[in-house]
Amino acid sequence: MATEAVGGEAPTLFLRKATGLVRGWSVRDSLIYACLATNFVTLGIYEFTFAGPAFPKGQLLTSVVISGIWVSFLVIAYAGLIVTIPRAGGDYVWQTRILGSGIGFVMAATGWWFILWLWAPIYGNILSVQFFQPIWATLKWTWPGGGYAWFGTNNGIFIVTVITIVLAGFLVSLGMGGYARIQKWCFIGGLIGFAVVVGLLLFNSHASFISSFNYEAQHMFGVKNAYAATNQAAVKAGYTTSPFGFGPLGPTMLLVPAMMFFILWPNWGATLYGEIRGASDFRRVFSGMFIGLWITVILTVIFFLLIAKTVGWGFYQNLNSLDYNATPQFGIWPYPFLFAGWLVHNTAFQVILLLVLSLWFFGWVGTLFLSSTRVIFAAAFDRVLPDRAAEVSEKRKVPFYSLVLMLVPAVILGAIYAYSTTFRTYTLDATLVIAVTYLFSAIAVVLLPFIKKDLWRASPASRIKLFGVPIVPVAGWITIALLVYNLVEWLWNDNYFVNSHDSLLYMAAMYVLAIVIFVVARIVRRRQGIDLGLINKEIPVE
Amino acid sequence: MKIFFATDIHGSEVCWRKFLNSAAFYKADMVILGGDVTGKVMVPIVEQGGRWKVTVRGQEYTLETAEELDNIKKQIRNAGSYPAVVSPDELKHLSQEEGAVDRRFTVEMTESLDRWLDMADGKLRGGEIPCILNGGNDDIWEIDDIIEQSPCVSFAEGKLLDLDGFSLVSMGWTNPTPWDTFREAPEPELAAKIEALASQVPDMSRAIFNFHAPPYGTGLDEAPALDSTLRPIHGGAVMKPVGSKAVRDAIMQHQPMLSVHGHIHESRAVKKMGRTLAMNPGSVYGDGVLQGAVIDLNAKKGKVQRYLLVNG
Repeated sequence: MATEAVGGEAPTLFLRKATGLVRGWSVRDSLIYACLATNFVTLGIYEFTFAGPAFPKGQLLTSVVISGIWVSFLVIAYAGLIVTIPRAGGDYVWQTRILGSGIGFVMAATGWWFILWLWAPIYGNILSVQFFQPIWATLKWTWPGGGYAWFGTNNGIFIVTVITIVLAGFLVSLGMGGYARIQKWCFIGGLIGFAVVVGLLLFNSHASFISSFNYEAQHMFGVKNAYAATNQAAVKAGYTTSPFGFGPLGPTMLLVPAMMFFILWPNWGATLYGEIRGASDFRRVFSGMFIGLWITVILTVIFFLLIAKTVGWGFYQNLNSLDYNATPQFGIWPYPFLFAGWLVHNTAFQVILLLVLSLWFFGWVGTLFLSSTRVIFAAAFDRVLPDRAAEVSEKRKVPFYSLVLMLVPAVILGAIYAYSTTFRTYTLDATLVIAVTYLFSAIAVVLLPFIKKDLWRASPASRIKLFGVPIVPVAGWITIALLVYNLVEWLWNDNYFVNSHDSLLYMAAMYVLAIVIFVVARIVRRRQGIDLGLINKEIPVE
Repeated sequence: MKIFFATDIHGSEVCWRKFLNSAAFYKADMVILGGDVTGKVMVPIVEQGGRWKVTVRGQEYTLETAEELDNIKKQIRNAGSYPAVVSPDELKHLSQEEGAVDRRFTVEMTESLDRWLDMADGKLRGGEIPCILNGGNDDIWEIDDIIEQSPCVSFAEGKLLDLDGFSLVSMGWTNPTPWDTFREAPEPELAAKIEALASQVPDMSRAIFNFHAPPYGTGLDEAPALDSTLRPIHGGAVMKPVGSKAVRDAIMQHQPMLSVHGHIHESRAVKKMGRTLAMNPGSVYGDGVLQGAVIDLNAKKGKVQRYLLVNG
């Protein structure tokens, strides 16, 4: 038998050649996943349109940096969970093992399954405003009726949502291998597209932007002197923007819960980590998520600085405020990259730039259902869901039933989203429900050293210390603080549109549904002679 | 009849102890361990001047008392590793002489198994609770004779065993892996081994296949895809089927009532293959958790009445 000595001249352990002993994996792959999950383009820029006008006295730049620092502790806490219990299924597995089957199922079902039905129309809307509308407008296509404006109609939103759902389902059916390849090239392409935007905004002056904006707005939308008109319209609507800067802290902190819409997801790939040697390497797991998160923060800061330099901060906020008040300039969502492309008066260039930047969407859209299927599988293997939920088709290896559990409700909610403007305001519910799931994982991190002492003692996470204090549980506490702060703001501050009666009812219904499924599963299985309470009950050692 | 099936404990002493207690805990009539009993890691504890030095999971310890030494040995064993107390000269010899580590590994593995079987005698009431073990591809050949000689454990490798009217056939061999382990064979050879076993089964509707290798492409065999340097692709999130086609074909052809597997730790799954219920409870031995399957067999109807995958 071949062996390997670890530790140089005085080895500290010997490994014999056996199944599963593999080399450490590359941080690059998980970094790409984390960076695309905290998608600065699809989610970030989309959110800034809402956040800036909703909290005009706050500073987006400062809030993104504060959010990045705060979410870094969530990354530490999740890295601790991943290396302690490296299992596919993530939050579901950790919470069922540490907090109990019921809590684990309810939190995972709501946060990784039901709420993603609502994310489907959100993804669809992003595809509409960042891809279809700007391309149609640039090419001046008039089909379907109304041209680009059609994508903003109820029918347009619904059709694009269905396209998104089909696309996400297709990427899941490709499997992680195929999707990872697509993701990698989309990430590279997306970065090239962003680099072009950086070049355009860096090497052009504020004056040339105003001139280009006015020229293209007239050429494309027939609006004269559009730059000044935008500012006047915002002032007329009563909106006053703050100059670009760093404070004040109070109103800026109110932006933090809004920033979570895009920055809370560096751990999105956590459900995908299997039991491999590398998953026990705290530094590697942490680095993938942390670097991915901070690439997002840095890209955002670069974007803000260039907006302030070339586009004009007040103008950018004014554009956003018009959209926020449902009177968007040109009747189109204010996509900054569309306007950056206007610095080159060439339609082909503008379209190609939009296509390249759309790779940020196409590399990201698969994340919509990928993790959900893992959670559904894990619950089916625990007999909480019917066995069929974990079935994979023989020929094409498609997780047919779990996809149905995602796709059908997503289409129904997509329709409600498209045809009910009230329902569209529940966008931040989508963040809130997942944050609640994260909160329970953060609680699990804090309780881990007390509830699963041996597991914690054996974990590489227990040895990561600062001044003799284990960092991971401390990071768990800081993550709890972050999530509780956000939840309090979402639930008590009207500006996030979360605390309305209907919105709360919608979220409560999801938790009730999860509880009902779990209780029914317990009853049905008990009648079948299966005690689900045994699943995580520990066998005595002595 | 209720069976508890677990697999791939890879030297974890805490998992072995739990396995011995599983019959009482799950009220099982019989316990089966499906191979890969031995560990993969040996941790040298260097004795010098009445003290011992050891590095466990990256942290260096200096042990002053025999009690501290016992505690660290227990910790190492529970994690599935073998503590090897050596002098500085022995350590030098181990790291420099060709084959020395292999020989020491064999000593530690066989001694550890001996100790485990002694424990089993007490826990299984001297054989009153049937306990069945077979090899896995990572198990050295030397373990076969040791298990065979145990009075309270039945060694099932390559045999047909009768379990109160159910036929159990067992095989620890797998299709080739990148690690070139002990019990590996090309698919045609594996098919011949399976056929030799299956041909002895009197009634397939009451048969249990206990094959270490899971059937190919069934979800019971999903392992992280590796590049040419054995580095997992995309952080281990890209999975690919690595099971045996011979095992899959045998299940589809013979349609036993139940087929239990291991080998691929991360592929905890259940799959209905025609009439056969196939399952791999997976393994997380490194956590000290014993994953397994509690399976109720209906003796009258000759079918799996119910099952539950558990994390003991």
